Amino acid sequence: MTNTMAEPVHNLKGSVFLVDDDVAVRRGVKALLTAADYDVVSYKSGDEFLEALPTMDVSGGAVIVDVCMPGIQGLELQERLKQDNVPLPVIVMTAHGDIPMAVKAMRNGAVDFLEKPFTVDEITTALDRAFSLPRSSRPRHSASSTLIARFESLTPREKEVLHEIVEGATNKEIARTLELSPRTVEVHRQRIMQKMQAKSFAMLVRMAVALNAQLEL
Amino acid sequence: MNGLELKDYGGTLIDEVLDTVDTPIVILAADGNIIRFNAASQRLTGYTAEEVIGRKVWDFLIFEQEISPVRAVFETTRSEGKPTHFINFWKTKSGERRLIEWSNKTIRNNKGDLFILVATGIDITDRTLTAHKLSETRTFLRSIVDASPVAIVTIDEKGLIQNFSREAERCFGYAEREVRERNISLLMPDPDQSRHDQYISRYLATGEKRIIGRARQVTALRKSGEKFPAMVHVSEFKHGQRVFVGFIQDLTEQKATERRLEDTQTQLHHAGRIGAMGEIATSIAHELNQPLTAAASLAGAVSLTLKKGDHPDVGEATALLDDVISEVRRASEIIRRIREFIRKQKSTKSLHDLNQIVEEASTIALLGAEADGIEVDMQFDEHVGEAHIDRIQIQQVVINLIRNAIDAMRDAKEKRLAISTTRKDAIIELKVSDTGPGVPEEIKARLFEPFVTSKVDGMGIGLSISKSIIDAHQGEITATSGESAGSEFTVRLPIGIDDEHHGGTGA
Repeated sequence: MTNTMAEPVHNLKGSVFLVDDDVAVRRGVKALLTAADYDVVSYKSGDEFLEALPTMDVSGGAVIVDVCMPGIQGLELQERLKQDNVPLPVIVMTAHGDIPMAVKAMRNGAVDFLEKPFTVDEITTALDRAFSLPRSSRPRHSASSTLIARFESLTPREKEVLHEIVEGATNKEIARTLELSPRTVEVHRQRIMQKMQAKSFAMLVRMAVALNAQLEL
Repeated sequence: MNGLELKDYGGTLIDEVLDTVDTPIVILAADGNIIRFNAASQRLTGYTAEEVIGRKVWDFLIFEQEISPVRAVFETTRSEGKPTHFINFWKTKSGERRLIEWSNKTIRNNKGDLFILVATGIDITDRTLTAHKLSETRTFLRSIVDASPVAIVTIDEKGLIQNFSREAERCFGYAEREVRERNISLLMPDPDQSRHDQYISRYLATGEKRIIGRARQVTALRKSGEKFPAMVHVSEFKHGQRVFVGFIQDLTEQKATERRLEDTQTQLHHAGRIGAMGEIATSIAHELNQPLTAAASLAGAVSLTLKKGDHPDVGEATALLDDVISEVRRASEIIRRIREFIRKQKSTKSLHDLNQIVEEASTIALLGAEADGIEVDMQFDEHVGEAHIDRIQIQQVVINLIRNAIDAMRDAKEKRLAISTTRKDAIIELKVSDTGPGVPEEIKARLFEPFVTSKVDGMGIGLSISKSIIDAHQGEITATSGESAGSEFTVRLPIGIDDEHHGGTGA
């Protein structure tokens, strides 16, 4: 199920280059995105994708890549695209709970991250974002003044907790670091989501990465 | 001296005799003036006879502080006419001290008037010094004995205590005066207590050394009746009579330290195991994520396909659904393999004290529980005893149940965790109950199946694995849950099962 040539883009939403080492995941995600009117080409490894890259039409496309694979890993692939100025937005897929990896990907300029297993909504929302971005080699995460205002509404403690969260710490770890009870951390976490108006954890991380660029969080 | 008159030897005979003896003899007149000062006295003091004759002893031979007692003795001897004994120092010509033990006697003339007083002395300076040194040495030895961190007890051939060092006093709780001349068997519990006399007499009779000369660990008995572990080393001395010296080291502290070390090691071992379980969970999570992602994506595709237009491609949707089913099967196959793996793990069942196992596991599982405001009630039935089980596996189950209970009470107002063990005939029962919200009705029936969980972030694997373990022990695990009374998990284990028999009820 691999093509070395990019298929022509029909009147579809866009081309998605899917990179995952698991055949079932490739088949499932391809079926999903095809049904959602995307044109999907899948690759079983980062190397295979990079090999095909020179012959690819990358305009109007996006990459969805698993961060954890044999051979070239997701983050490395992202790095290569950045170096070669390939104007492809990148969405990374992480294992459940691998927040540090997700944050790293976001800092490296990933559009979004998806925690496996993800819902239809999550992946289409991520792709919508990817395709709505101006075509540049690297999507910029910059914080709007509203976002900064929301951030400023956090208490110092909440800011601390946010910092720990986007570093990928679990509630228990945060509790230990900040000497709080895990339940208090959970309360903080909910307040933060509320104040930041983040609908998902991915969104919160995205916001934090944007704020980070601006505020040295 | 029959037939011989002293006077035949002339008037100097008495002086000759006085000068021959090697002991100071002084003769005083009734007024206390020295009238004879023999050669030994002259050698001793450094004074010549000429220098002292006609003088009084207390005028030059006696130290200031002894003058009045010496004069008193002189008066007593003279007035009562009875022999007296006295010890005092003489001050030699060069100012040295000599200690002299005096025997004083008065000699009267025919009329009964006091004639002279003869004082015969023995220079006991050196003897006293030796005695003093001896006593010093004794004191010194005693202080060494008392300073010894090892208790030292000496006994005679009859087993009667002679010396009891300070450390012995501390460790046994007796004062030396309480135990001196009492039988050493006082310090040991039975059976040694009643047999110790035999031990000694057998040794004395046969010379066969069973304890002497080698260190051995024994149980000793304090005054309080408390028994304690001790290291004993017995040596034998022949010092006139036979003396046995026991060096006793109280091992209570050492044992406690060892115990603590062991505990810590056990905990580390557990912590490592939990860490390993965490790693396994992560890799399980990763492995499971793939089929689950595929299945979720395929299901999403089905949904989108069926919603599409007026004529959804049902054939395509059906084909996709088949794929969903196969991915879900793959996920459950992974779980089956994990359970199989756990079940087939080399089982190392042996006899273990269930209470101890539960206690150890609780210690690990309850780390931090107090900080979370959880009240823990542990009730271990001491009749539970031992069961033929795999210690590590059962501890995994216990840890799992306790962790679940703690997680369940995260948002509960009242947080009480009860852990108890009981025994009913050949069945041991372990109960872990909490005051959490209880098991939701919808998952009750499938609670022990994989992927069934009421936790937001749970995998639903713990109870499934626990059940596999308990099944392999031919036991059973059940859960009861009231509406608001939290949940209670009960594990029943037979106390002894055949090791070869692994019960094939894993799934």
